[in-house]
Amino acid sequence: MDQNHRNTGILHTLGEEIIRIITPVSICMLSVVILVSILDKDSSLSSSVSTIATIAYTETTSDSEWDKFKGALLNSLVFVAVVTVVTFLLVVLFYFNCTKFLKYYMGFSAFLVLGFMGGEIGVFLIQVYSVAIDCFTYVLLLLNFTIVGVLAVFMSKIPIFVTQSYMVVIGVLTAYWFTMLPEWTTWVLLVAMALYDLAAVLLPGGPLRLLVELAISRDEDIPALVYEARPVIDPRSNATVQRRVWRDRPVNVEAQSRPQVDTETVGSSRNVEEGRVNELSVPLIERLRERGVEPESLGLEGIGLASTGAIKLGLGDFIFYSVLVGRAAMYDFMTVYACYIAIIAGLGITLVLLAVYQKALPALPVSVMLGVLFYVLTRFFLEDFVVQCSSNLLMF
Amino acid sequence: MERSSSEEVTPSEGTVLINPNPNMTSSSLLRPEWPTIDGPLGLSEEDSVGYARKFFGFGFLLLPLLWAVNCYYFWPVLRHSTSFRRIRPYVVGSAIGLTVFSAMLASWSLTFTIGGERLFGHTWDELVMYNVADRYGLTGLF
Repeated sequence: MDQNHRNTGILHTLGEEIIRIITPVSICMLSVVILVSILDKDSSLSSSVSTIATIAYTETTSDSEWDKFKGALLNSLVFVAVVTVVTFLLVVLFYFNCTKFLKYYMGFSAFLVLGFMGGEIGVFLIQVYSVAIDCFTYVLLLLNFTIVGVLAVFMSKIPIFVTQSYMVVIGVLTAYWFTMLPEWTTWVLLVAMALYDLAAVLLPGGPLRLLVELAISRDEDIPALVYEARPVIDPRSNATVQRRVWRDRPVNVEAQSRPQVDTETVGSSRNVEEGRVNELSVPLIERLRERGVEPESLGLEGIGLASTGAIKLGLGDFIFYSVLVGRAAMYDFMTVYACYIAIIAGLGITLVLLAVYQKALPALPVSVMLGVLFYVLTRFFLEDFVVQCSSNLLMF
Repeated sequence: MERSSSEEVTPSEGTVLINPNPNMTSSSLLRPEWPTIDGPLGLSEEDSVGYARKFFGFGFLLLPLLWAVNCYYFWPVLRHSTSFRRIRPYVVGSAIGLTVFSAMLASWSLTFTIGGERLFGHTWDELVMYNVADRYGLTGLF
């Protein structure tokens, strides 16, 4: 049956696809944790960050917890409101076919993130490790790095590995920047963004859903910062897979020479071995979400399948996962492990839901909710338990 | 299944070779069909010429990383010395440019780092990055 064949296909390729998406997410989180542990020695940095996210209220250590919570709530509402407005703006621009403008804007924001934030973090690292590099070499290297990064974001004719690496680097830099926000604001912001993501993607009036439907109806790709995993290529065909958003059956050279009926009758073992994702109908599209950072770059949030069957994960998801883990790292490594497991579990659940529901899904809610839950549980219960056990030499 | 010699296509024709044989070995005797490292996901041969030329040209604007990306991207062209005659000059040029530039940059940078104040005197303090950052307040931008 077609249905069974499709399910077997998904199950068999999903393993490889999952690994290809979990690896960059893990690398991003690991890098942010390392950066946070190295650069978090002086806490004076956190008080100097003033952005959209702290416009309503700046947290001071002398406030009571209830005040901090209210302030954080206010901050998050402002942030989510700004993100919503900008996303609607994006929908309008996309509706009027200003795709060129969006692409240039994306390139510009990548330039800002890589050049300025990357440069600043580089300088921090140089100061911490007292690396005796001179300014000419440093500026030259930074310029190279930035320009090649902008090209990688702009053009699609860069090696896939280079593009993927730059996406991860942009995610790491932005996530590190977000971890510099005050603590309560960060946590409430994460929860607020998870709820916003849920609403924007699944509600009929949500901006992301509108964007996705526009993209489907026009059969276009949304210009956005998206991490796309390398697609599983069928070793039999080797022909370039066509890139269209909606595809029921793969239209490639092989399909013309060998009708699809033939491949199905050849025996299930062969199909199972191959696990061609692009034999399945892949009616999935990515969703777009604004990442409301100082340089308001286009982050794509949520998870979908590209026309080649490869999994796409928005850069906004990378960033918020890493922010969660980075914030957990500012407390202790135990919370890092717990939150990492929670996020990967949430991502796995989202991928399974993706396979089941076959439509664009928000990737934030499940992971962030699990992550926040595990952080709270670890910080307030598990740590006590483990410390007590260790100090009584019961368990290490 | 072995590839028959009748499937050999010269690069000057600029046609894209689609290989139905999945068992491509990577021996240098067989001619690779895709000029890019991404294989079938990358560029076809005629598109590659334009991109190789552009990467090579823009690399002269003090962008050795672009040359490195060029070499990485067209690695099959570099590795198989007799194939893709139209793309090869640009990729080889990029590789040479990259080596020369890296040598120059490394020699300057190492002289600076290892020489230190003994060699440069007080200008070393003015040129070193962490002092420059402190002087211009570069760490407080965001």
